[in-house]
Amino acid sequence: MRAQFTIRLRRLGALTGSLVLAGFIAATFGVSPLHGEQAGTTSTSQASQENYLTPVELKFSHDGTKLYVVCEDDDSLLAVDVTTRRVVAKVKVGHKPKDVAVSPDGRTLYVSNEWDDTVSEIDAASFSQRRTFATGWGPIGVTTDRTGKVLYVANSMGNDVSLLDLTSGTEIKRLASWRSPHNLSLSLDGRRVYVANLLGHLGSPNEPPASELVVIDTAKQRVAERIEIPGVLELRHVAEAPGPKGGYLLVPFIRPKNLNPLIQVAGGWILTHGMAVVRVAGANNATQPKSTVTQILLDDVDSYYAGTNGVAFTPDGRHVLVTSSEADTVSAIDTTKLERRLHQVPAEELADRLDSAKEIVERRLETGSNPMGIAISRDGRSAYVVNRLSDSLTVVDIPRLQVRGTIDLGGPKQLTQLRRGEQMFHAARFCFQGQFACATCHPDNHIDGVAWNLETPQLGRDRVANRTLRGVAETAPYKWNGHNPDLETQCGPRIAKFLFHSEGFNSTQLADLVAFIKSIPLPPSRHLAANGELSPPQERGRAIFFRKSCDTCHTPATHYTAKTSFDVGTATKYDTSGLFDVPQLDRIEQRPPYLHSGEAKSLEELWTIYNPQDKHGVTSDMSKEELNDLIEFLKSL
Amino acid sequence: MKDKKFWRWLLGAVGTLVLLAPACAQMPPLYTHWENYTTANGMPDEKVLSVAVDGDRVWAGTENGLVLIEKGKIQKVYKPEDGLANRVVTGIAVDPASGDVWLSTFGGLSRLSGGQFHNYTNLTSGLANDIVYGVAIQDEYVWVATTAGTNRFNTRTGEWSIFSEKNAPIHEPWSYGIAVAEKKVYVAIWGGGILEYDIAGGYWKPYTDPDGEMEIVLFKNQGLIHIIVSNVAWNKDTQMFWASTYFGLSGYDGRNWHNYLSTDSGLASDFINSPKSRGDDVWACTDKGLSYLNFKTNTWVTYRPNAKTGHGEIVITAPDKKVTTMETPTSLAHNYILNMDFQGDDIWVATATGLSHGIKESTRESKKEASNKEGKVHEHTTASR
Repeated sequence: MRAQFTIRLRRLGALTGSLVLAGFIAATFGVSPLHGEQAGTTSTSQASQENYLTPVELKFSHDGTKLYVVCEDDDSLLAVDVTTRRVVAKVKVGHKPKDVAVSPDGRTLYVSNEWDDTVSEIDAASFSQRRTFATGWGPIGVTTDRTGKVLYVANSMGNDVSLLDLTSGTEIKRLASWRSPHNLSLSLDGRRVYVANLLGHLGSPNEPPASELVVIDTAKQRVAERIEIPGVLELRHVAEAPGPKGGYLLVPFIRPKNLNPLIQVAGGWILTHGMAVVRVAGANNATQPKSTVTQILLDDVDSYYAGTNGVAFTPDGRHVLVTSSEADTVSAIDTTKLERRLHQVPAEELADRLDSAKEIVERRLETGSNPMGIAISRDGRSAYVVNRLSDSLTVVDIPRLQVRGTIDLGGPKQLTQLRRGEQMFHAARFCFQGQFACATCHPDNHIDGVAWNLETPQLGRDRVANRTLRGVAETAPYKWNGHNPDLETQCGPRIAKFLFHSEGFNSTQLADLVAFIKSIPLPPSRHLAANGELSPPQERGRAIFFRKSCDTCHTPATHYTAKTSFDVGTATKYDTSGLFDVPQLDRIEQRPPYLHSGEAKSLEELWTIYNPQDKHGVTSDMSKEELNDLIEFLKSL
Repeated sequence: MKDKKFWRWLLGAVGTLVLLAPACAQMPPLYTHWENYTTANGMPDEKVLSVAVDGDRVWAGTENGLVLIEKGKIQKVYKPEDGLANRVVTGIAVDPASGDVWLSTFGGLSRLSGGQFHNYTNLTSGLANDIVYGVAIQDEYVWVATTAGTNRFNTRTGEWSIFSEKNAPIHEPWSYGIAVAEKKVYVAIWGGGILEYDIAGGYWKPYTDPDGEMEIVLFKNQGLIHIIVSNVAWNKDTQMFWASTYFGLSGYDGRNWHNYLSTDSGLASDFINSPKSRGDDVWACTDKGLSYLNFKTNTWVTYRPNAKTGHGEIVITAPDKKVTTMETPTSLAHNYILNMDFQGDDIWVATATGLSHGIKESTRESKKEASNKEGKVHEHTTASR
């Protein structure tokens, strides 16, 4: 009841209540109150000289006295004393750090640097950097094995997992994951590493999505199993149930109903959020010969908890805490009730039922903005939630299941326009019943990899693939039909009416949001040499690109888009018009599926399957060698 | 009646081994015990095109799916409905690092990882052609032999390269098999000889008929025996590649060629589907049995079923060309041999009517048995064909 009250406060935008609560926390616990932005600060000051920290992940030190917090915008790792609740050390790491692993002896920390393709090795005692290891592309998740001799690194851009020998600092091998592997989790018995993939399989746009949890055998250092989790996307974290009741994993997800028109938002169920309960064959107490997956939702019928993300069990296994990064909430789940629910309701029904949360969620607690990773102390008394866009940690009193306070990590106290815009981008409160935020379908400012039927009047028609927001500032017009001349139109009343089914953003908020979207950078190209020189195949492909007049529509000077629409023969039977906005080609290889319909699963298919009339360039006369070269050139953009 | 037949066979076998005794001094350990996997005990098709061993696991590619054998049993048969690119599995390569199984098929290239298939075809990837005959792993690269050229797929960058008559020194693109050495990659080209790729230098070197006209060598050991090469194998112990052709067997040690015909050696047939080699051992999968050469001693052994007796037949050709024949109670499933692989001292052989497991006795046992033939024969009379 108390939790319900807390949530209602937030959902009703009760500023006064929040301020009172913040003051109460400060007075009672002697810790920093909620950040200014949560207290309703309306500063419009521009970017500060000081970087926001943007903490994304955290882990406990070996002795449990410190928390190591990874800050992606500050390129740093912080050490936070959990007794004094102060930042006691800071070390600079590589660019866009995303995760930290602690060695089994606690003496060494490993931080993944997503944009540098490296891991920083940090001495835990001196909090200084020792070595830097090269990894695959876009490292995010990291974990050591039980021996501390091997580091596993999830390469989100390379779609694989690097195994590094920590003695020599060299890569032993690389194992194929699936799409955008994010989180790695070592099983409690140390026999497996679980890999959560953010994006789903590249399948037919007429089928529901499916995601994959990869299981690596740490003894053999091989992929032991690929567990399909049907109908869901965005696996970000994995937690294993401890103790005698263990033997299963919880993997938060979003469950989109993208085959339905998005207008169904008004009816609910269009984007639900929950967890997969995975019992891995042969793991711990699981005795069944095959791995099993059951799905359970954490939304209420009239109130959704978008962006299920971090997850952690209490040491006794009685509770599991799950963050909802777009609902600024952490939900405390009673695992006894969870297990009862799993037994009571047939698995085939459970995945779509919105009456589970009221049975299993014991408390909903408010966090800072954009909560992500979560860590629970060894004594099981405290949980710490990292608030990515508040530069803070929310401290949860687990026995009482209430927020104990907030730890300020530092960073600018004033909100810039970009920061406000980013907070809105991640806020589901602008959507009817809080069903989703911009970030729900644009995880990491990118794509979710599925096609949607977005709006009336073409219900059931004109389904379109999601488009990235990375580097879109200068690529107007927007939408696949090119009807939105600018991002203000794209993100304004149209979004409110057709997608959010709400009031949407006011003019100030819209300006903030657009400013943020325009600021989203392109990640580094991994296919272009550091000196910018093209490889021989890329050079040959470049010549083909111009010989075939690809540049007529994909104008190099404007991000390889002529910023207008053409009919290149790609319309499907569901499309009202054959005219489609020319997509920019920057980092094109990072965003399959292709075409407005999302039908082309690879760049090759654009020409081998979906260009039968040679309208998307005269390509039928190209040899396979030429096509491969052209694709190598496109991948370099 | 059965007992009489058995004792007659036993006496004959003992007699053969007694006669064989003088030759045993140089005789390599023999495969006298065969266990066969056929459609009768679970194989999805008679014709087994390829076989690859990965520790305790044995993968067999048939004309109707992929078979996994472990602990002496068929554990699983994979078909296109399981995700396999095509039912005809022509080649298998297990990535030693990841354990992923790469499969060449008549419908593209498949990767089996963690129980799930991922397929690469001409339409969905940079694969040159969907008729794929061979596959091999070189670090992060997957080499693929197709009818439209040889592909190299970089699993880390996703880059596909095609090597054909357009950019490599061959006049035929049809590649049949690939072998990876420490610094080189060898490709067997149907009608194009052997192509050698220098990994560090990134260039090709062809091995074709010496005079460039006749397609076949005019003099023994002059060069590659014939340019219609069906497959190629690398021996890391002797640093030699071996090429199987439909007109004899060729080995090259970097300086000299070593060619063998059925007319001048113990080779069962000049029609060879694939070679295999390690240590001093060279194996040739022919249409008339499985031939073995001890390269050091020049001793040949051919294994084949005896069509009349149903037993196995071992033909030993000593260096002095003296031929000795013996019989074993069990035999290869068929004399038409397509492929083979090693599992420790054992061998697995792909034949036209099933997969055969040759179980090797230790050298000590073999010598002991050579001097105590009665015991050896007796030991194998209990084995079933």
